[in-house]
Amino acid sequence: MITYPRWLDRGTHKEPVLRLLSIGNAGVNIADRIAVRASLPLETVALNSDQQSLNASVASRKIALGPMTTHGLGAGGDPEMGLEAARESMSELRQSVEGADVIFLCAGLGGGTGSAVTPQVAELARANGSLVIAVVTMPFQFEGRRRSQQAQEAMQGISRHADAIVHFENDRMAEITAPRTEAEETFAACDNILFQSVASLTRLISCPGPMAVAVPDLLGILRSGGGGFLFGSGEADGGNRAHEALEQALRSPLLDRGRLLHEASKVLVHLSGPRSLTFAEVGAIMQEISKNTSHTSLLHLGVSVARDESAPLIVTLIGHCGAAARIEPTASALKIEPVRATPPALFPEETIQSTPNPPAPAEPKTTPPKVKQEDLPLEPIARGRFEKVEPTIVEGEDLDVPTFLRRKLKK
Amino acid sequence: MAREKIHVGLEIGTTKVCAVVAECNRDGEMRILGVGESPSRGVRKGEIVDFKNATQCVHDALADAEDRSDYEIKGVWLAISGSHIKSFNNRSAVTLPEESTITAKEIESVEFKAKEAGIPKEDVIIHSVIQRYYVDGQEGVIDPHGMMGTKLEADFHIIHGVTNRIQNAIRCVREFDIDVEDIVVNSVASAQVVLDEQQKQAGAVLIDIGGGVTDYIVYKEGAVCHSGVIAIGGDHITNDLCIGLRIPIARAEKLKIEEGSAITENISASEKITLKNDTGFSGRDIDRLMLNMIIQARLEELFGILRKRIQEVVPEHLLGAGILLTGGCSLLRGIREAAESVFPGTPVYLAHAQAVSGPMSAFENPQLSTCIGAAKYAQAVHAEMPYESLLNRLKGFFSGRM
Repeated sequence: MITYPRWLDRGTHKEPVLRLLSIGNAGVNIADRIAVRASLPLETVALNSDQQSLNASVASRKIALGPMTTHGLGAGGDPEMGLEAARESMSELRQSVEGADVIFLCAGLGGGTGSAVTPQVAELARANGSLVIAVVTMPFQFEGRRRSQQAQEAMQGISRHADAIVHFENDRMAEITAPRTEAEETFAACDNILFQSVASLTRLISCPGPMAVAVPDLLGILRSGGGGFLFGSGEADGGNRAHEALEQALRSPLLDRGRLLHEASKVLVHLSGPRSLTFAEVGAIMQEISKNTSHTSLLHLGVSVARDESAPLIVTLIGHCGAAARIEPTASALKIEPVRATPPALFPEETIQSTPNPPAPAEPKTTPPKVKQEDLPLEPIARGRFEKVEPTIVEGEDLDVPTFLRRKLKK
Repeated sequence: MAREKIHVGLEIGTTKVCAVVAECNRDGEMRILGVGESPSRGVRKGEIVDFKNATQCVHDALADAEDRSDYEIKGVWLAISGSHIKSFNNRSAVTLPEESTITAKEIESVEFKAKEAGIPKEDVIIHSVIQRYYVDGQEGVIDPHGMMGTKLEADFHIIHGVTNRIQNAIRCVREFDIDVEDIVVNSVASAQVVLDEQQKQAGAVLIDIGGGVTDYIVYKEGAVCHSGVIAIGGDHITNDLCIGLRIPIARAEKLKIEEGSAITENISASEKITLKNDTGFSGRDIDRLMLNMIIQARLEELFGILRKRIQEVVPEHLLGAGILLTGGCSLLRGIREAAESVFPGTPVYLAHAQAVSGPMSAFENPQLSTCIGAAKYAQAVHAEMPYESLLNRLKGFFSGRM
C-alpha cells in the first residue's frame, strides 16, 4: 500500500516531538496517569500554580506558575489570578513549548489556572509553529454558573489559537459509572476517558502503519463542528479480538452505546494492532462500524501496526455529532494557513523502520466487579437446566449449582 | 361510587400463569369470582425468555379466567418479578417558606425528589412507598397534610427494575388488546393480602417462594423497610434433585411434590423410595435421606441468604409477627422447620391470602397469593383514586376557567 506522508519533512531526519502540557490540577492528574500507565512517545510537562499538586506529580518536567503571585497555593478558582501567574512565568511557558512539533494541552476548564493559562500557552505554542490540540473538560453543571462561564470564556480563548479542541463535558462523563458508585471511582473514570483520548490521539499521530491517518484528516474531524465530541476506545486480544475491541469502543458512554455514531457526519476509525492483524479483521470491524453509522457519513480509516507481536488490538473511534456552529470558526480558520507553510515533521521515513514504541495499551475498561459465569470453575453438568439462563450470583457464588454440590455434602 | 368494581390480577410465573378475577367493594371487601391457570412455558426465573410461548400461556390463563368468572377481561394488574428488581431507601427534603402549612404540593414534591435518586439509566422506578415523614425533624409523622413546618422530610422505599424486561411482560398481555392498568412487584402484591395491618406494625417478613424466584418484603413499624428478589425457587430444588439423584427433570419434579421434605431427622439410612418404570426411565430405588438432604441444603442456603439481608435492615427481635412463608414452594413438607432452624427464635408460619371470600380452594392456595394480591393492590389504589381524581378534575376545571 502506498502511503503519502503529507506532513513528512524530508530535511530533518528526526522523530517528531510530541509533548503534553498539562495545566492546572485536572491537567496534572491526567499527566500522572499517562506517565504511570502508558509508554507513549510523549513528553509530559506539568504546569500548575499549586505547588503541592506539582510536588505530588510524577511528570518528567514541572513548572510552577507564578510563584510570587500565588505563593504556590494555586489560583483559587480565579482566572484573574491565573492570568497574573501566567504573566509572571511567561518565560518558563515559552520554554515549555519550544522544540515540540505537536503539543497537546490538557486542562480542566472552569477553575483558575486551567482556564487562564491554557489560552496563553496555546497562543505561545502556535506562535512557535507547533500543531496544537487541546483536550479539555467542561465543569459539572452543579459547580455553578460562574464556573461554566469561566470555562466558556477560556474555551473561546483556546479556540482562537488551537488547531483542534477535543472537549468533554464532565456531566456526560459522569454517566459512565452507575449512579450508586463511589464518587472517587466516578472521578477516576472521567480522568480515565481523558487519558484514553490523549493516548489514542498520540498513537494516531505517531504510530506508523500501512494506512496512516493524515493529520489534516484528523484535524478535519476534530474541527468539523461545535456539537458533541464522540470518542470511544477499546482493546482486546485473543481469537475474537476484533469483535471485542469494537464492542468496548462502542460501549463508551460518549457514544451512548453506539447510538450517537448514527448522527456523526464524519467518523475516524483507527486500528492499531500487532503484525498478525488480518485484513479480514479490519474488514469485519469496518463493516460493523458502517452498520452503526448513517450511510451518508464519511469514514476515515487508519491502521497502524506495532512490531510487538503481543500488542493488543486497539480500536479508536473519533467523530463529531451535531452541526452547532463552532465558537469562533473564522478566527481559527484564518490563522491556520500561515502555519501550514512550515509543517512539523511527522513520520520521517527512517523512523518507520525502527519505531521502538509499540502502541501503548489503553486503559482497560473498568467493568463492575461482577462475577461472570466464565469465572467460576464449573463442571458442565452442574448447572443442569439453568445452563442457558442468566446465573443467579449472590456474594460470588453461583447459586444455580446445587447447594449440596457446592457444600460437598455426602452421605 | 359505592358500586363494586372488578379487578383482575395476573401473574406470569415460572411454573404457571394465573389470573384472578375479583370483585371489590369500596369498603375493602374482596370476593374471588374465578381463577384461570395455565402451566407456564417460556419463563425462567420469573422472566420471559420465550416470548411466543409465554404469550400463548397468558392467553390460555386469561381465557380460562374469563370462562370461570363469566367476565370479559379488559384490563389486568400485572405482577412483576425477576432478579433485576432492586430496592433501596432514600430520604428527601423540601424547605417551606416561613409560617406555612404543608399541602399536597409539598408532599408531592418531596416524593418527586426522592425519586430523583440515582438508579441505573436502563431502570425505571416501579414503586415509591412512603415509610415516614419528618416535619422539622419531628419523627414518626404519618400524614403531614395541614401541619405547620419549615422543613418536610420523607423516607421512601424505592423499588426499581430494568425497563425492557418489564416491557416484555407488559407486551405479553397487550398482544391480545388487553390493557395493563398498572404493574406491581410480586412481594408488594403478596403483602397486600397475606399480611394484615397488625402484622405490619409488629414487624414481619413475607417470603414468597415461587417456581423460579423468591420475593421477599420486610415490614417494620408498619412501613416497608426492605424488599427484594432472589432468583432461586422451586425449580432449583428440582434441578438439584435431577443432578443429585440422576433422574430426569420431570421425575424429579414429581418426586419433590410427592415425597420431598426438608426434614432429615428420624430417617433411617436404609429407607428407600421406589420409582416405577416409565418410558425412557427404568425404575430405581432412591435414598430418602439423600432426597431430603438435597432439599434441606438448598432451603437452608436460601433462608441463610435472606437472613443476612434481613438482619442488615432490622434486628430479629423487632420482627414481632415473625416470618410468613407463601408461594408454591411453601407447600413443600418441612419448609417451616428449615426456616425455623435458620431463624432461631423467630416464629415461622405458612400463610396464604386473608380477608377475601370466594372459593376456599382459591384463596387458601399459597400459590395464588401474589395474584390475589395484585387484584387487592388494584382495589387499594382505586380506593384512593376516585377521590383524588375528582379533586384534580375540579382543580383543572377551575384553573381552566380562570
